[in-house]
Amino acid sequence: MLEILIVGAVSSAIYAMLAVGFTLIFGVARVLNLAHGSFYALGAYGAYVLTSQLKLPLLPAALLSVALVALVGVVIERVFIRPMRKSQLAVLMITLAVALVVEQALFLTFGSEYRNVPAFIDSKFTIGGVNVAGARLLALGVGIVVIGALWLFIQRTRYGSAILAISQDPQAAQYMGIPSDRVFSVVMGISAALAATAGILAGPFLTVQPTMWLLPIVKAFAIVVVGGLGSIPGSILAALMLGYAETIVGYTISTSWTEIVSVLATLLMLMLRPAGIFGRRAAF
Amino acid sequence: MTALLEVANLNKHFGGLHAVKNVSLTVERGEVVGILGPNGAGKTTVYNLLTGFIAPDAGARIVFQGTSVLGLAPYRIAASGISRTFQLCRPFVGLSVLENVIVGALGSRGADGADLEARARKLLAQVGLAGKEGVPVEVLSYGDQRRLEIARALAARPALLLLDEPFAGLGSSEIADLSALIRRVHAEEGLTVVLIEHKLREFMRLVDRVVALDFGEIIAAGSPEEIVRHPAVIEAYIGRDDGATSSEASHAA
Amino acid sequence: MFTRPVDVAGAAVFVAVMALLPLVFPSNYLIGVLTVSVLYGIWAITWDFMSGLTGRENFGHALFIGVGAYTAGFMNTTFGINGWWSLPASMVMAVLFALLIGLPTLRLKGPYFALAMLSGSVIMQRLMLIFWEQTGGEEGLNGLTPLIKSQIGFYYFALATLVAITVLLLALARSHFGLILRAIRGDEATCQAAGINVTFYKIASLVISAAFAGAGGAMYAHYQLQVSPQLFAVVTSITIITMVYVGGMASIYGPVGGAILLVLLTELLRNFGEWRLMIYSCALILILFFLPGGLVAPTWRRIRAALTARRLAAAVPVSREPST
Repeated sequence: MLEILIVGAVSSAIYAMLAVGFTLIFGVARVLNLAHGSFYALGAYGAYVLTSQLKLPLLPAALLSVALVALVGVVIERVFIRPMRKSQLAVLMITLAVALVVEQALFLTFGSEYRNVPAFIDSKFTIGGVNVAGARLLALGVGIVVIGALWLFIQRTRYGSAILAISQDPQAAQYMGIPSDRVFSVVMGISAALAATAGILAGPFLTVQPTMWLLPIVKAFAIVVVGGLGSIPGSILAALMLGYAETIVGYTISTSWTEIVSVLATLLMLMLRPAGIFGRRAAF
Repeated sequence: MTALLEVANLNKHFGGLHAVKNVSLTVERGEVVGILGPNGAGKTTVYNLLTGFIAPDAGARIVFQGTSVLGLAPYRIAASGISRTFQLCRPFVGLSVLENVIVGALGSRGADGADLEARARKLLAQVGLAGKEGVPVEVLSYGDQRRLEIARALAARPALLLLDEPFAGLGSSEIADLSALIRRVHAEEGLTVVLIEHKLREFMRLVDRVVALDFGEIIAAGSPEEIVRHPAVIEAYIGRDDGATSSEASHAA
Repeated sequence: MFTRPVDVAGAAVFVAVMALLPLVFPSNYLIGVLTVSVLYGIWAITWDFMSGLTGRENFGHALFIGVGAYTAGFMNTTFGINGWWSLPASMVMAVLFALLIGLPTLRLKGPYFALAMLSGSVIMQRLMLIFWEQTGGEEGLNGLTPLIKSQIGFYYFALATLVAITVLLLALARSHFGLILRAIRGDEATCQAAGINVTFYKIASLVISAAFAGAGGAMYAHYQLQVSPQLFAVVTSITIITMVYVGGMASIYGPVGGAILLVLLTELLRNFGEWRLMIYSCALILILFFLPGGLVAPTWRRIRAALTARRLAAAVPVSREPST
């Protein structure tokens, strides 16, 4: 029982980092970025390359990887997404194509075997009689801190206000002199950085291989739909729901059913309540 | 003879905002009724309620040709004989002018009987768009798009035509042309027309009867001359500093 | 839309070429490639009929293909039923799935409908793997009996089916039904205001699209003699959408050309081994940026214009000297 509680919390934290980034860029730019999972993958692979090939110590490698992926995110937004922004479907297609290109690039460079991303904390801890890997606890801790920091950033800083303004009314924000394009780039960078962080933290205990971008995007989409597109609290709540739902299904039924949970949740939510739990902007 | 359209106790709340308050009106066959009111008075909301695009609050009564249309899907209501135009022209992009009109007929009674294409061409000629059948709608001028909207609405052979600010965005000669068109169509087809506008001059000459709305409720009803002199109406306009009225009112009177 | 004599002539030439190629270059490999491209052509056309005309892009078309293929697979391997029965059966199953997923999701806006359909196909793929005992898991169902023993015989059957479906869908697209679908793409609310039951037409077009895609799936199953969960994969849906983009969205006939081109491209890229998918994905990006109107349909339109201009010029009698 306690094991479910902890494992569920860890999953939820990782999912929350993925989902919040995804919903952020949607809320601000109305972009459903299917390449979001690629940032997750690139974060993990980045950490792998920097530690095993460039022999950097883990913490600098991780930070550098996050920074590089954030940069990649900004470039992708500028080169691929911005020209297509008039049509949401065009953005879907182009980001999907980019995700495929990234997947193939990783495949050609690293092959399809699983790679090893080292964990920050190798030791195991015992909490209430349950053995938990330190890496998982770290993922949980960092996840909470990072999302908390993001929340503060949005609520307290001027940049954060700009982001909120654009989410509510893009045109009015422009009239007020808010540089939307620059804000989009920054938000994309933050979004990519969050996904990369999730990848680095989850790398040690989840599989690292070129196709690892697909499942996170399916889950991020599921969470964002359930929680309400554009709503950060909604994403966090839905991430918790999904993380725990998957964990419980995994423990009680079987692990092969866990992936269906998210997809099924998406489908059901879209059918029953497309606005999601907290969504203001309905899907219809 | 029963009225064509009977509306009673029409209310709509959007959250805390009471957008439409207890609107009741009756439209007789063959009338041209005008709905007047400043921006935000709730006129288009009333249309949306009547045509089923929004659901009214409980207790409303909307009876068209003797049958209640409350709760019906918008397409059903339209198919039963009510056609409407929109405030901002909404042509079917990607289709030609002729195709737009044909689609207008496909949903309802307009589809029975003779060659749809021939009827569509006739309608286009009636509204003054002859010769532009093959043109893609995206390149039409705004005035032409308005004419197309009317042709498309007429294609359905409606019993009741609801026009939403048909003169918006048009210059004065275009307004005169369109006004003449509406009058001609009303006479020839025997249509009943309800017309929302807030440009008074042409409006006054077109309508038999006016219902004035402000803040969602009816503040006055009567002939155009009565309405223009009605204190509540004048206050509604002058109170909002809407330059449309006083000089217009004296012209129309 | 593709009905003038010059169009019919062009189509006849195309069909003739497709029919004669395997006779001129007898090679089992060529017949195989052509067969696969014809089947993809069926899937691409069915996608274009619904998504191209209504503008509601469906990212989960693989759902109907997989359903059709697995229906054929089960009927043939588990129940030993003759393959020809699986064609109508697969259409029925595909229609059922279309109704099941279409009814609740068609009211959603563009990208959400697209992703809901994607979710549907992913769920089916997962389910095939979860219930591996019944479905054969990753390896799927094997040992189906072929519909037509001779390879070239089956190819002609597939080609004939493609032609029949194309003619049918073109006719529908040209009719008032198709006009309504295109109007729905233009403005749904206004269609409602014109008395059109938009939901019915969206569902009807999805059902038609699904039925023929399912039939194509069953044919594919009886051609490969094997059915695997890969048929439900996202890659399948995206490949088909790419083919439609290359062919020319909403043209109905374009996607056939798109399918053939892309299958040929895939074969040509086989030499590049591992780089194949990478080149493919990059090609997709280039297409999305530079050829959003497609390649096949615009090219045909230009050929057609050139041909008709020349015919007109030839028909005009007398000199072309400027009058003085």
